[in-house]
Amino acid sequence: MGLFDEPFREVEDFIKEKQDLKQIRELPLKSILNWSEEASLILEEESALELGHPGQGSLSFLVWSQALKKNQDRLLILGPDLNELKGKKAPFGQIIRVYGSFPDEYQCYCQLRDAIYQTKLKGLMMRLIPSQQVIWCRVHQTALAQGFSLSHLGSALIKKIKALSFVESVEVIFITSSKKDLNQLKPAGEEVKRIAGALVKMVEEKDFDCEACEYWEVCEKVLELKQIKKRLNKKGKRWRLR
Amino acid sequence: MAVKVVAICGKGGVGKTTVSSLIAKALFQKKDRKVLIIDADPAGGLGMALGIKPKRFLSQIRKEVINSIKKRKSDKKDIALMVDYLIMEALTELGNFAFLSIGQPEERGCYCSVNNLLRDSLKFLAQNFDLTVIDGEAGIEQVNRMVMRTVQFLILVSDPSVKGIRVAETIQKLARKISAKNQAGLLLNKIRSEHELKQIRAQTKLNIIGWLPEDNTIRDFDAKGLSFFQLPICPAYKGVVNALKKLEIL
Repeated sequence: MGLFDEPFREVEDFIKEKQDLKQIRELPLKSILNWSEEASLILEEESALELGHPGQGSLSFLVWSQALKKNQDRLLILGPDLNELKGKKAPFGQIIRVYGSFPDEYQCYCQLRDAIYQTKLKGLMMRLIPSQQVIWCRVHQTALAQGFSLSHLGSALIKKIKALSFVESVEVIFITSSKKDLNQLKPAGEEVKRIAGALVKMVEEKDFDCEACEYWEVCEKVLELKQIKKRLNKKGKRWRLR
Repeated sequence: MAVKVVAICGKGGVGKTTVSSLIAKALFQKKDRKVLIIDADPAGGLGMALGIKPKRFLSQIRKEVINSIKKRKSDKKDIALMVDYLIMEALTELGNFAFLSIGQPEERGCYCSVNNLLRDSLKFLAQNFDLTVIDGEAGIEQVNRMVMRTVQFLILVSDPSVKGIRVAETIQKLARKISAKNQAGLLLNKIRSEHELKQIRAQTKLNIIGWLPEDNTIRDFDAKGLSFFQLPICPAYKGVVNALKKLEIL
């Protein structure tokens, strides 16, 4: 059993459904990322595109699985790529599925989150709040004119995440099609939010009463969380377990 | 080194916000660089003078972050990312311009870590602009505080009153204590004659970078609540432009 097994499966079902409808396609992975890595602040005036702009629809989360899958990285897109987008604003989803082994779940969660945040490409401004699962990107006019695409972003994300020793494969799914498609994945996202919230609280808090905790239902449901709690208890945290 | 962060300070009522608005107008006309304007006066007068209604105040972001910490929904990294996101969202953008208003502190209590985060985020934000202009709070208190620590040049605004000049001198002394690198210059406002200017020169050792005459166009715009972006070229505006040229900002 893994921490994110249920939402991981939900994303799997979503991909299958969209594949059956021939709505999802694979983007080429760029083995040599021919794009400068640097942080950009892009004003609206300079931007060619805004993805996941507050109000447009935005979803970003990460799930993992311990299923064996070595070096089978994949980049999928539901909806148009950047150069195919009509209009300046579009909804945006960035769902990441990671395969590997995750000995210390909280550390792995933090390192994966940092890898995503540290992915900075010239001409792309990315702002995200992991706990709220929102992502907002601006693409500079020059970058778009020079051929910047979601292949670049996806490949850069995979490269950064793959640099972590516990990761075996990475799958990035971009959604630019509609708010409706994003909403379809919201329940999976909510489940991830609850699990990650419980994990963060468990590690961050020094004294913790399960009876009074808003996450107790999640811990009851996700076996892995109970095990983490027991492990932390042995390490000297003071818990009043259910 | 080119000046990248400028703050406008001075005693209350000397015309800081008018000067800041005129600086904003002059830089807006130029359109050759990215400019961040920060209204650090809790009264929020600069936004009004420029006809900008801020989408969100920094104080509201601070409150949201504190609530998130209280509810234990986020860890430190998440909070840092949240601050970056919310500040970007709070910017009012006008072409090459971005405007951010600090607003009034609402949440009582000691939240040093949040303040530090906000300060670091603002510093990072300012680094991405060619020029940052901060309209400071009246008096000397803010010179000590978060947004003012990265300032390279203080424009000390004063009217011809002795009180105004003394406050400007005190601000300069305090700024020097915080950072020896801080430079400052006095910009005189509401000057009625050459004679008055001469008298002030004799009263102070501050470096006078320019002066603005009393100007009815400014008075009319203020009275009608019109945006200073629409202000025609007038003597006060010319005075600010000259000072900015002297500082090699324009």
